[in-house]
Amino acid sequence: MAEQTQGAVPLSAVIADAATGVALALQGGGDPYALSRILRQGDPLAPAAVRVLGADALAPYALEHRAVPVGADDEAVVRQTLAAFPPGADASDVSAWSYRGLVEATHAYLPSHARPWPRPPETGAEWTAADPWPRLAHRVSQLAALALPGLAADLEEQLTSRTDDLARGFVRAVRRRDWLQAAGVGRWLARLPDVPPTLGLDAGLAFVRQMGGGDPRVALHVVAAQRFFGRGW
Amino acid sequence: MTVTAASLASPASPALLHRVGDRALSWLDAHRDFFRLTPEDRATGSATIERLKPIGELAINMQVLFREGVAGSRQRTRAGALLDFAWRELLDGGNVLAALQQDEPHSPVPLEVYAPFHELGHRHPGLEAALAVTRRTATWTALEMVPNRRLGVLNAERKIGLAPSADVDQALARTWLGQLPEPWTVQLHIAYDITHTVFHLTNWGEAPDRIPPDVADYLTRYLPAWLDDWADLEHWDLLGELLVVDACLPRPTLDARLWERYAAAQDASGAMPIQHAMPEGDPDLVFDQVHHPTLVAAFASAMATSRALTSTAG
Repeated sequence: MAEQTQGAVPLSAVIADAATGVALALQGGGDPYALSRILRQGDPLAPAAVRVLGADALAPYALEHRAVPVGADDEAVVRQTLAAFPPGADASDVSAWSYRGLVEATHAYLPSHARPWPRPPETGAEWTAADPWPRLAHRVSQLAALALPGLAADLEEQLTSRTDDLARGFVRAVRRRDWLQAAGVGRWLARLPDVPPTLGLDAGLAFVRQMGGGDPRVALHVVAAQRFFGRGW
Repeated sequence: MTVTAASLASPASPALLHRVGDRALSWLDAHRDFFRLTPEDRATGSATIERLKPIGELAINMQVLFREGVAGSRQRTRAGALLDFAWRELLDGGNVLAALQQDEPHSPVPLEVYAPFHELGHRHPGLEAALAVTRRTATWTALEMVPNRRLGVLNAERKIGLAPSADVDQALARTWLGQLPEPWTVQLHIAYDITHTVFHLTNWGEAPDRIPPDVADYLTRYLPAWLDDWADLEHWDLLGELLVVDACLPRPTLDARLWERYAAAQDASGAMPIQHAMPEGDPDLVFDQVHHPTLVAAFASAMATSRALTSTAG
């Protein structure tokens, strides 16, 4: 038994390692970024981890000077992910949007090779207007990886009219010590204009990282908010 | 920057809002003798102060019902009877307050308890004479107290027709709420500081327009998050106070989903538990635990019903 479990790494650990690698790359530490370097060679869980991280798997490529030319390995794992986990007909909005985020990131950050990348799927956006604020904040936090420069511009536009509702969601998430939700909503707020100054977003992001940064995905969202949108400290 | 209203359910019906207060008043009426000071209480000044607090709260809250006039004539009569009972039976026509002032000449407590009765027309000249002397000392304004209580003292002075002993705007600026800090830092004690700042600033909901626009915007923006959280924590005492704050805002939400949960927490007797379910056991101990949340329920109901009937909620 011991021998069998010794080499088994749960998906959550693969995701955590990858999130740490992305956050480090965004902070400018270490070698130039390569997605294939933060995943174990040939790890069967790699595509699932990339699917969970979504566009964030490619976020360091948005910092052009930090990235080396994308190697074939990176392209292969992204293609594998897109092929393995397409959103089905009955997929949730969050699932469709996060998939779309990854597709958009390939278009935006990866050079097009001989084979074109898939087209972004259709995604419904009714919820951005219809969701009550607690539900909206929860969904937006699940789509934190889309808070990257140039991605999901239509989503950014629609959420611009909901900054007060997202600010309420940030407050509620911090109150509940739901650091992952707080970091995700805070990251989106960092991208949006006209966030109420009374929210104290900069101190709030720092607080969320201090309290919840043990989760690499929390740290990643806070680092992204700082690196791309200059919020938090 | 204009604040957008919280996107949530529709406002509660006036009938639901009213019912919570009606039931709370029934319980208060049935338990009015529990407010009495015992001879042992009156033997020591500190025990008197301890026991005066519920009486002061009873007076303030019954005055709100009396004032808002939305409770219907039957409730108004009951609230008035409770106020008369409190003045005559519990405070011996103000003599209890005058005696306390004699024991502790510079305590603001007698003034704070006296103010609502004075506003309703009750008078105790001896107490007023004692207050006039102590209010001219430097210690009166130097007394150390939390900033929102200072607002309460200023409001009590205003209620009995005296010039406030300090500047209200400056007193507000020293409160937590007056400084509009990060809303995600709010915890239980800060939340009570917020509600009491609003109570004192508005004279217990009488003058919501005394809330400065920046503070009203701040509350409109973040109150829904606090309401939602303390409803989930089933903290009915604080939820009730936060619902009063909502009813004091320019555009109250009177959120039906919150009010339904609040109403469902109320005991069949009309009592409101502090948190979670009703306590059980010795009636005196149960009274000690539930009289405050039940007074708050009557207060919140009167304010919300009034706003539902006089303004466009939502």
